[in-house]
Amino acid sequence: MILQPEDFWSFYEWLMRPESFLESALLQGIVLFVLAIVIGLMVGYIISANRYGPGEGFYAVARAIRDLVRFDLPGTSAHRVFALARLAFKEAIRRKVLFVVGLFVALLLLAGWYLNPESSDPARLYISFVLTATNYLILALALFISAFSLPNDIKSKTIYTIVTKPVRATEIVLGRMLGFMAVGTVMLVPMGLASYLFVSRGLSHRHAEVVDVVKEADGSLVGETDYVQDHKHSFTIYPNESDPDGVAQGLTDLDRGHRHIVTRDANGNFEIGPPEPLRARIPSYGEIQFFDRGGNLKDAGVDIGAERLDAGGYGSSGISRVIGLSRGSRKIQHGYVEGGTLGKAEFTFQNVTPERFPNGLDLDLSLRAYRSYKGDIESGIRGSVTMKHPSKDIESNPISFVINEYEVDELPLPLFTEGTDNNQTRELSVFEDLVDENGQLILIIKCLDRSQYLGVTQSGIYLRAGENPFWWNLTKAYVSIWLQMAMVIAFGVMFSTFLSGPVAMVATFACVLLGFSAEQVYDTRHFIDSGIERGGGPIESMVRLLRQDAMTTQLDVDTTAAKLIKTTDAGIVYSLDAIATALPNLPKMVGTAEYAASGFDIFGALLMRHAAATLGYCLLAFIISYFFLKSREIAA
Amino acid sequence: MENDSTVVAETEPADAPEAKNGDSDSGVVIETRNLSKIYRDFWGRKKVNALKSLDIEVRQGEVFGLLGPNGSGKSTTIKLILGLLFPSSGRVLVFDKDASETSKNERIGYLPEESYLYKFLTAEETLDFYGRLFDMSGSARKQRVDELIKLVGLQGAKHRQLREYSKGMTRRVGLAQALINDPDLVLLDEPTTGLDPIGSREMKDLILSLKKQGKTVLLCSHQLADVQDVCDRVAILDQGELKELGRVADLLKVQDVTEIHTKRLKPEVEAEIRAIIEREGGTCTIDNPTATMEDLFLNIVRESEARPGARRVSGSNTPQETTDTDQKAEDNQGEAGQ
Repeated sequence: MILQPEDFWSFYEWLMRPESFLESALLQGIVLFVLAIVIGLMVGYIISANRYGPGEGFYAVARAIRDLVRFDLPGTSAHRVFALARLAFKEAIRRKVLFVVGLFVALLLLAGWYLNPESSDPARLYISFVLTATNYLILALALFISAFSLPNDIKSKTIYTIVTKPVRATEIVLGRMLGFMAVGTVMLVPMGLASYLFVSRGLSHRHAEVVDVVKEADGSLVGETDYVQDHKHSFTIYPNESDPDGVAQGLTDLDRGHRHIVTRDANGNFEIGPPEPLRARIPSYGEIQFFDRGGNLKDAGVDIGAERLDAGGYGSSGISRVIGLSRGSRKIQHGYVEGGTLGKAEFTFQNVTPERFPNGLDLDLSLRAYRSYKGDIESGIRGSVTMKHPSKDIESNPISFVINEYEVDELPLPLFTEGTDNNQTRELSVFEDLVDENGQLILIIKCLDRSQYLGVTQSGIYLRAGENPFWWNLTKAYVSIWLQMAMVIAFGVMFSTFLSGPVAMVATFACVLLGFSAEQVYDTRHFIDSGIERGGGPIESMVRLLRQDAMTTQLDVDTTAAKLIKTTDAGIVYSLDAIATALPNLPKMVGTAEYAASGFDIFGALLMRHAAATLGYCLLAFIISYFFLKSREIAA
Repeated sequence: MENDSTVVAETEPADAPEAKNGDSDSGVVIETRNLSKIYRDFWGRKKVNALKSLDIEVRQGEVFGLLGPNGSGKSTTIKLILGLLFPSSGRVLVFDKDASETSKNERIGYLPEESYLYKFLTAEETLDFYGRLFDMSGSARKQRVDELIKLVGLQGAKHRQLREYSKGMTRRVGLAQALINDPDLVLLDEPTTGLDPIGSREMKDLILSLKKQGKTVLLCSHQLADVQDVCDRVAILDQGELKELGRVADLLKVQDVTEIHTKRLKPEVEAEIRAIIEREGGTCTIDNPTATMEDLFLNIVRESEARPGARRVSGSNTPQETTDTDQKAEDNQGEAGQ
């Protein structure tokens, strides 16, 4: 999992962007609201001017706004909202939507058939499966119940008996939204429990016995476990003189993403424990700086090839990108450090205190290796990590490791280590000698093999400040799904106030789809803006497809035709870009599942951002729904 | 029936005392001013001119009927009054408030043309739900729901979902929901449609009892007999235009015919009366009145309920002098029998 710059932001940074307010979520929200109000006023005026004439139309619009502010908002009664929400809830339940939960359980029961048992990381597979299944099922359900309910009521005229009671449009809209959210909640809870059981039960296994145990020269025992669930572990137990009972413990290797504890009691009997619990690491990230082979500070690491397509990561630019003020990609790719030179990557960690790390610094590494020549293919590329004082000339001796690509490698750093203090070699205490008074510590990552490369991103190296229980992480992933559901419901209800059921559903679906493919739209716009040939917009792509042209060549048509095509495409792509920017960033929210699947604690800040965005969109949808419902002739 | 010996001559019928209420100088509940409605299609092209410059006033305490053939604008008028439609021009005032104001609904009960209710709710849940929409407190709501269920006679079926209900039963729930807030103004769209004669009679009795309680009722109906039975004033619409407006009694009065009701007369008395009228230069018919089908039916049902299993033989009972009909109902029977 590679984190992008915006993933590191705190809630406040995301909301305000202290250095560049143009990129802030707050501004984006404000612009969205202002746009909605301006467009709403214009559309409202055109409609009512058409209905009542230009002068009276103006008053009609003014009255509608006055009604909202003076009567309908203050007059909204929680009682009635609750009654209507209860009705929506009962409707959904009596229409047997809980069937979907059954469907989900059936899906889990059948999952064993198609989840690859030989996967190298079954936990990831299982977790991402349950979360993805839940996510799409719930979104589909939200789409259906929200888009069809109100149009059905209007079609069957049951709405007549509602609107002829002292019920306000605000209450009808809020009631629906809250009712359906309650339905979703009622469904998500059993689905979450089923998921938790499925994952924890599905991954739990016991190795019953050990085989081939050999006593090494240093007295340690090396052996293997038996073969269970398509894997076995090897383990090492170091002799333990301190335990008077003669009990010794060791760890197995990491296979299928987990380890076991192996215990040998005084009688020589081995016992293999359950797999480690599922993880939710809480990372503490540092700031990264790259230095080239000459030891000079650089903006980025070595680019080893097609790592940077100059695309992606625009989502963090907010409004400034749409109006053309910030261009270019912001996507973080791996930067590489050349081996056997002065090239290095320096990470500055804040807040390294004995309170946070009482048992030593747990360093986790997700690194990549790039071989410029084949070398010794049997052994991996080696790197080293050195702890260094931020300002003084004190550093530890390098600790070397072998790069394990595509998994999180754990490297516990000792609290006391040999090192140099101004050319003097001595025993160093990490917290006393290496961490400065502000709690800062620098880690230097180097590649040891000459002319081979080590790749790293900012999120590739972190200090593990702790772990959260898996159930809590899963809950957070479900909260994220709930937020997406709330958004889809809000959009569905909004469209259903002025469209018929099927059309409202398609409209909501289109919004979801466009939200999901926002990054691709941004990409296309970026390529058009910077004149990079990447297939162009929809029409150009179609022409290329039909002509069987490659996407990176010049568009090989008549100049006028090319101009026409490109202009039209630009128009389409710019409009799509604007719309996509206005829509919720669903992929980001779906992405929280990736955190859980990769064994990372879902950041609170991330969840709060999603919650704030969801609230904003729901509010917007609520206001738009109100005006549509209010200005609609229910009986027409 | 032949031994029912009432002689009917024709004379000016006396007004029922209640009917006078409509004339009193009480407040105006509904007022339409130059009310017009043009239905347009999506492109704003005119489709139908459903209502043309309607001016009516419905006063407090009266039962007002809207009559007219299909497509004459009755339902459009009711929907405009309720704010379900917006007028193309003109205004509707209900309790001196614009029809688009939600707060007017506090005092309104509306029974739609068909009972558009939530089929997945039971009768009790339905009424409870509508009670909640009036912000009624829990206890008040429960009491009112029980009262109404009793009133419409659904005690035995209150826990069943409405999808299992017959049309008549749904209609009763519809009526009960219209009365949940004890409204001052009741709008009834085709109130007797879908009801059997008993239900229809009960509905009419209920309308009259609402009137007695001083409520205002506006109804529209095709059942001319029903309108005649209960309405104080009617407006007759055709093709969106008001054709006739006035008190039922005045509109229906046949000015040049006199009707006399009396107990069975001896033949000689009959001959004498005939002679007197002929001497004055008039002509007359003397006949036994016929009862209405409604009375006959109601009597049969009442009797069968009183004595289950007994079989009624035609002619063994009189259709008149039932105990529980009030004065007004009897008057109405007389009118209906013409």
